[in-house]
Amino acid sequence: MKRKTLRNILTTTLLMAMVISGCGSQQSAEAPASQDDAAREVQSVASEEAQGQEQAASGEKDVVTALLPPVSGTYQDKLNAWVEEFNAENQNIEIQVTTASWEDMTQKLDVQVNAGSPPDIAFIGYDGITKYLDSGMLVDIGDYLDESQLGDFDENVLNYFRNGDGLYGLPAYCEVQCIGGNRQFLEDAGIDWQSVQQNGWTYDEFREAIQKGVVMDGDTVKTYGFVFACSGVTAKDYFSIFVKNAGMPAAFDEDLKYAYTSTKMLDFLTDLRALIDDGSMPKELSAIDAGKRWNMMLTGQTMITGKGLSSFEKSAADNNALLESGDPNAVEDSIELDYIVLPVPVFDGGEQNAYGAVDGYICLTGEKDPDETHLKNVASVAYYLASGARAAETCQELYLKPVCESGRTAYEELTPIENKNEDNTKAVELLTEQIAPARSDIPADLGAEAIQIEDEVIVPKFQGLLAGEVSPEDMYQAIVDAAYDAFGEEGCVQD
Amino acid sequence: MGLFRKYHGKQKYKGILRNCIIGIVLLAIAVVTLFPIYYMIISSFGAPTEAGGASYSLFPRTFTLASYRFFFDYSIYSVRWILNSLIVASSVTVCNVIFASLAGYAFAKLRFPGCNFFFFMLLVAMMIPYQVTQVPLYILMANTLHLQDTYVALIAPTLVTCYNVFLAKQFFTSLPTSIIESAKIEGCSQPGIVMKIVMPLSKTILSVMAITTFLGEWNTFFWPFLICNTEKMQTIQVGLKNFSFANTTYFAPMMAGATVSALPMFILFFALQKYFLEGVTVGAVKG
Amino acid sequence: MRKIRKDEIWAYVFIMVPLCTFTIFTLYPVVSAAVTSFQEYKPMGSTWVGLENFKNTLTNDLFYKALKNTFVYSIVTVPLSMFLSFSISIMILPFKKRIQSLFKACYYLPSIASGVALSFVWKWIYDPLPSGLLNSVLRVFGIENQNWLGSGKTAMASLIIMAVFAGLGQNIIIYIAALLGVDATYYEAADIDGAGFFQKVRYIVWPMVKPTTVFLAITGIINGFQSFQNAYLMTGGGPDNETTMAGLLIFNRAFKYFEYGEACAQALLLAAIIAVLAIFQFRLNSADVEY
Repeated sequence: MKRKTLRNILTTTLLMAMVISGCGSQQSAEAPASQDDAAREVQSVASEEAQGQEQAASGEKDVVTALLPPVSGTYQDKLNAWVEEFNAENQNIEIQVTTASWEDMTQKLDVQVNAGSPPDIAFIGYDGITKYLDSGMLVDIGDYLDESQLGDFDENVLNYFRNGDGLYGLPAYCEVQCIGGNRQFLEDAGIDWQSVQQNGWTYDEFREAIQKGVVMDGDTVKTYGFVFACSGVTAKDYFSIFVKNAGMPAAFDEDLKYAYTSTKMLDFLTDLRALIDDGSMPKELSAIDAGKRWNMMLTGQTMITGKGLSSFEKSAADNNALLESGDPNAVEDSIELDYIVLPVPVFDGGEQNAYGAVDGYICLTGEKDPDETHLKNVASVAYYLASGARAAETCQELYLKPVCESGRTAYEELTPIENKNEDNTKAVELLTEQIAPARSDIPADLGAEAIQIEDEVIVPKFQGLLAGEVSPEDMYQAIVDAAYDAFGEEGCVQD
Repeated sequence: MGLFRKYHGKQKYKGILRNCIIGIVLLAIAVVTLFPIYYMIISSFGAPTEAGGASYSLFPRTFTLASYRFFFDYSIYSVRWILNSLIVASSVTVCNVIFASLAGYAFAKLRFPGCNFFFFMLLVAMMIPYQVTQVPLYILMANTLHLQDTYVALIAPTLVTCYNVFLAKQFFTSLPTSIIESAKIEGCSQPGIVMKIVMPLSKTILSVMAITTFLGEWNTFFWPFLICNTEKMQTIQVGLKNFSFANTTYFAPMMAGATVSALPMFILFFALQKYFLEGVTVGAVKG
Repeated sequence: MRKIRKDEIWAYVFIMVPLCTFTIFTLYPVVSAAVTSFQEYKPMGSTWVGLENFKNTLTNDLFYKALKNTFVYSIVTVPLSMFLSFSISIMILPFKKRIQSLFKACYYLPSIASGVALSFVWKWIYDPLPSGLLNSVLRVFGIENQNWLGSGKTAMASLIIMAVFAGLGQNIIIYIAALLGVDATYYEAADIDGAGFFQKVRYIVWPMVKPTTVFLAITGIINGFQSFQNAYLMTGGGPDNETTMAGLLIFNRAFKYFEYGEACAQALLLAAIIAVLAIFQFRLNSADVEY
């Protein structure tokens, strides 16, 4: 018993010592585990030292921190090279990058903003502007960039990052979010997809088309006409992408009245529900997630899918290549898929307004009196990342055209993508021209109220609507009630 | 085992029959619970392609270790992440087992002024959702103490958790007070009692505590992610998440990484299993 | 007298480290959150708004709906999970040690696959189309296709089943630890009195593991009331807010709308409710457990 106790105490002390040394100093805990690791360690120390000397030579470097997601497949790999290039060219600035997945990055950014110590640059969608503006941490970079830099970007796309008079970020790309079809199935159903790509289609044409796309196998549906990923929060995509073509391109009309109380909303909801009742869309739509619907697309269980991005053409082509070579890693039961970009149908009383996901680099500061030189450096880093070869390479990988002149110039020099479907390229270009105009005139507080109604009323009710448990009338009424509560009757559209 | 009746002689078949039925029920449940881990392992043998996202098939269709290679080649820090996780999780585990059992013993068997007050404070603290406490905690660690990218920041907040103090306290409550009293009469000091009587009697619960703490710490994602900005200081869970992309995912390598990160847990579990099954033999200690 | 004083000093020494970490890393954030609940929080300087945040919360219908959902979720999940893990732990006992540890490994180890693999598997299980795992299994029994996470009728039940399975492994190993702590002499005495299996469970096992049961019930309720991840990932609170829980609401307040003050107010109200429930449970079990 005694010996055991002694041993216990010894072990404990030893462990404690380990822990304390682990806690106390980072260096001692960095004891390399293997030869290999040790070598790396030495290398990294050496490079740090080299950096240190450099720093001493050129004086204090201004560090610009950036929090970035995997914008495209190889973005994070390329990023290191870009940062090195910039750091080499600009001896007085050093970019420090933290990368993380989309969702994690947003969460980290949110905590850091709430804590008052955000990174200098973050990558977000334009719809986040109002939220971060409200926290008082966004930097108006309009003052820190010169005319030629601002003029580099397409006006409408750049406006997505404006609010009131301020410019809070620079766009990296404008990704059209629409729908996409299986070429073979479209042709089997007698749909002239080339005409649709060029001229768009009405709701009635679309409804008829997807009804023709349904293939039955006895009593069960083998192929649906249309499947949109609607599970959980993605139901929001279905709503927001389609509502733009129903005469409500934004939550507020030109007079800043809340638009979704219009009776057009009721018609829109009834129309969407009808697609499910027709049997063209699965009645389980409300629980189909993004992965599932892409799997359905690849395995021929649906003719058209949403949301569709132009880069899906690449996913489909990759799988086709695997299928062709007989590689067992091709998706199980998948068929060859020729992905066709299609516009969203136009509803009664609406017009074509493509949904553009404009994402880009915003600039933040946690200081009350930020250093002007630092902000200028931050703005020039943001411009560097959003323009030129960086924009060109990112956009090419996403199958998009850059939204800035310098990016387009650099784009011409890139090796073109092999076997790119030219019809799709043209369709995407056309849709990009039809992107709904930016609404920088909507004040931040109104925008925030609208987002809250969308999250707490529209999305949950919409999920219920898709599941067949909330009627279009009930959902419309709920929106009207919530809107009257928030904006008053006179603040809403009445027709 | 005294809970179940022992059958003898002719009736023995009854016992066997009973055990068979129970065994089948338990196996059926085990199949369900093991499914995710089975899925994780078979998926990790797929090739590291981005093509189709998740694979939904019950049986492995290919067998290649390419995804494992992909995982280790993904970042020069892949090994480092595992090492970081090991350092953090083992420190936290050791501290928790020692300090939580000491405190648990104090709350369970010692009377002192403020005993109930302190204990109730610990409990109430558990009840505040972490969504609101993480911001002040981050402000404290990052803005006030400037501890980003250090092991201290990773370890300190969970050095001793209220959960473990509560667990230890509840378990020690059921130990007979009489042994502790008699040890005291024999002149044993309080640390002696904890070391010689309470700890040896509680190997089961302490090993449970060790493994659950280790697992919890090993799987923690958000805090290490929040407090570490450099890749070098990330833990394995943070590193793993880097495989998840917007619309596509390196599915097989992600599963390979998950399998690799699960290995230490297997080892720890089987290393501790001796203690898991050691019943408390109060009688033996008494005698 | 002197002896008692010495014990007291030891008691304070023993709780020293937990108390310090607790004060710095738990109490400080909690107090800070409590202060914030009376402010309109802005990272660059907050303003005092008195009880405004509490008033907003208590007049918000969605808060009550979320509370109701949270309540249903915890009240079903916790007893169900405890009953299952208690039964399984007892069923494991008659086997040889080697088989026991095998089963324990089977039940506990899957929790290491948590996160990544688990979310994919559950999505597959709840796949609403006939090809989904659960739907395929149920079809064998002639049960119609269900839209598990998509329908208001089944969404909450689906989340509950997920939560029960997720917590099973941990509960089982804690219960087994407690069961092994029951001294065999008690059973021998009961055998002499001619007690049957269920009587032994009722009169020996149940009272002996009561502290563990209290522990699992209270931590279960705390986790249940704070639960947020599953609803956030699987249903996003829908359909029609049927699975919106208090944790999700607080998260959205704090990080989606940046109304951190109101989030703190909601969190405090939630904590108060949990505390009342916890005290109630302690009272319910106060027969031989003191806190």
